[in-house]
Amino acid sequence: MTALTSHLKLLEAESIHIFREAAAQFRSPVLLYSIGKDSTVLLHLARKAFWPAKPPFPLLHVDTTWKFRDMIAFRDKTARELGLDLIVHTNHDGLARNINPFDHPPSVYTDVMKTVALRQALDAGGFDAAFGGARRDEEASRAKERVFSFRAAGHRWEPRRQRPEMWQLLNGRLGKGETVRVFPLSNWTEGDVWRYIALEKLDVVPLYFAAERPVVTRNGQLIVVDDERMRLEPGEKPVLRKVRFRTLGCWPLTAAIESEAADIDEVVEETLAAKYSERAGRLIDHDQAGAMEMKKREGYF
Amino acid sequence: MNLAALQENVSAETTTVPRRERGALVRLLTCGSVDDGKSTLIGRLLWDAAGVTEDQRAAVTLASHNRAVNGERIDFSLLLDGLQAEREQGITIDIAWRYFETPDRRFIIIDSPGHEQYTRNMATGASHADIAILLVDARHGAKRQTRRHAAICDLVGIRRVVLAVNKMDAVNWSEARYREIEADFRAMAGSFNFAQVTIIPVAALTGDNVAYRSTTMPWYAGPTLLDYLEAVDPEAVQVDAPFRMPVQLVLRAAGDFRGYAGTVTSGRIGIGERIVDARSGLGATLRRIATMDGDRAFASKGDAVTLVLDTDLDISRGAVLSEVPRRPTNADVIEARLVWLSETPFDPEAGYLLRTATDLTPVTSMSVSALVDFETLASQPAHACGVNDIADCRILLGRPAAIDLFRDLPLTGSFVLVSAIDGATVAGGVISWAQAGAPAVGDNVLVLDRALLARGICSDLGDSPADLAEFNRRAQEVAVLLRSVGVPVLIEI
Repeated sequence: MTALTSHLKLLEAESIHIFREAAAQFRSPVLLYSIGKDSTVLLHLARKAFWPAKPPFPLLHVDTTWKFRDMIAFRDKTARELGLDLIVHTNHDGLARNINPFDHPPSVYTDVMKTVALRQALDAGGFDAAFGGARRDEEASRAKERVFSFRAAGHRWEPRRQRPEMWQLLNGRLGKGETVRVFPLSNWTEGDVWRYIALEKLDVVPLYFAAERPVVTRNGQLIVVDDERMRLEPGEKPVLRKVRFRTLGCWPLTAAIESEAADIDEVVEETLAAKYSERAGRLIDHDQAGAMEMKKREGYF
Repeated sequence: MNLAALQENVSAETTTVPRRERGALVRLLTCGSVDDGKSTLIGRLLWDAAGVTEDQRAAVTLASHNRAVNGERIDFSLLLDGLQAEREQGITIDIAWRYFETPDRRFIIIDSPGHEQYTRNMATGASHADIAILLVDARHGAKRQTRRHAAICDLVGIRRVVLAVNKMDAVNWSEARYREIEADFRAMAGSFNFAQVTIIPVAALTGDNVAYRSTTMPWYAGPTLLDYLEAVDPEAVQVDAPFRMPVQLVLRAAGDFRGYAGTVTSGRIGIGERIVDARSGLGATLRRIATMDGDRAFASKGDAVTLVLDTDLDISRGAVLSEVPRRPTNADVIEARLVWLSETPFDPEAGYLLRTATDLTPVTSMSVSALVDFETLASQPAHACGVNDIADCRILLGRPAAIDLFRDLPLTGSFVLVSAIDGATVAGGVISWAQAGAPAVGDNVLVLDRALLARGICSDLGDSPADLAEFNRRAQEVAVLLRSVGVPVLIEI
């Protein structure tokens, strides 16, 4: 055992503590399940927190209709095998207006199909708390966030007015119209998530492992063509390359990396040696300076 | 071997955890007055100790050239200041959490704002830290805000402090200036309970003594900041601490399963040992320690577990499970030192709730007795307190709660004060004294009412708010003195 696996024990216990505090204090929580590696760890920790009972809340997936097919299959299999309630929500108004990642800039697409969709789903379910798999090491504005992140009416994040959070005392008393996002993985890093997945032998979506996949290169980013809706530019032709993903989202907006890491141990090794942050492959975050903060202020999780 | 198997190995080693295990995760706070260079220092540490990826390096390099505050130099603070308002104003508003690891250790860095206006955020950060790096600008030495931050570090229980004397480049790397600040700080640190104070001269801008040894300050023989961080022992391990586990939830499942879920906050417990609920005094024997990874024989500090007892104690969230010999006080009056966090000042008439480990107890009345003066660091008598003040106070609870003293057991001896109106966290504090006094209302109870007090001990007081607060304070004081000699007392004023 190295020192850097034993710290996972501390992180695991901290996350379980957070899950239990939220479940005890909020009337109607929900777990935002986005199918990726962070959600996989989040769900596993939720199961540990309430075992032998089932987690006392449903899963919610905001489906933009542009997720990788492998993700949807993995989601349905996971919910079925664990016997958990899964709510799938799509912004049908956005769908009717044909908002898609090819015709609209990432900021518009994300706002309509992810941020607005999430607000719709939370309001429809009457949820006062939503667990998310966000980590503070992901991005600069995430690094500023509390574990219980309060949102004013309309789900707005007000970064200048965050509630003090001292010791392990998580105060979940809500003011009028307030809801809260709960982030049990706040202190985990990308490396921790992979080391934990390896130690706990968790299943993840196969897209995280290197395989030959049809790829086109745009602005230096590798885009895997997941279905027939891909709009190829003149002269563009998908070629098979050995790639994998560090982060999963909507396939036209998520870049793959060239990799030989075909199993969990190789992924852990590659992650710990990485020279680029994982969000370098998220096209939606580069759209504008401070993009993530702006999305969060508007209610993105 | 999965994580559960690793945990079993650790638990089997009893309470003497090897140093490597204890040091696996170090939480580090940076604090100090505004413009003393906190974000720059941490940015420099991350930059030089490989906590920065290529795309972050590129982004910061580009943004630095656009701002050009340091001439052609990299503006390291841009690695930390993640909010748009912070970047625009060039200040830190809220704490930033950053992560990096060396071969033996994971570090969590908590960078806190220096502005007095954002002290509540600094207090949040400090309460999570094992070690504080307090910065001063070598040109100015300690300021009022430096002393305030030192006092908050002390209050929340940080025992290891590094004073980083920054901007040594701006004082010509002067040893004399460094010695002067060192002497000044050692004198000031005497006011606090710090176990270890280390003083390091650095220049965040050039990186001297941050990750690399300075060649311009040959007179300094101590460690660089990074050397210090890799070697420091973050936590004083309490040997033979009493067992405590605040109950978060009661879990029920198929097959009549009923277990108390919580995180052990101190000590250790094993199957077959006796446990008591401190509030009701009811006892039971520990039958199972249940986890998804299988049952365990022992649970110790930091473990998130579910305890199954041999008899149903009929307890719920807020109860503190304890060993039998050394229990928490079932207290309904406490004395505490707190830092006031809300923009709305303390109001003796407002409704508050006391949030201890997992309990939420209504506050019957509360009074302030003293404030810390940030010039002298001495306590001055006072009856009011407002935002960013550190105050000593006495709190009467509507019902008894299971309470420890912070200096013995920090996790069951600390609290936040919650507004009963809007749920806001208005203060955070540590308990210095607790007393059980809950009288059963009966024949032998002395009722302290307004008329009784006004006749004598409060005859000099009028109707002003200050006088009413003082009236309240004296009533509580009399009640506490009487209870301490066994007289049951009720206050009805």
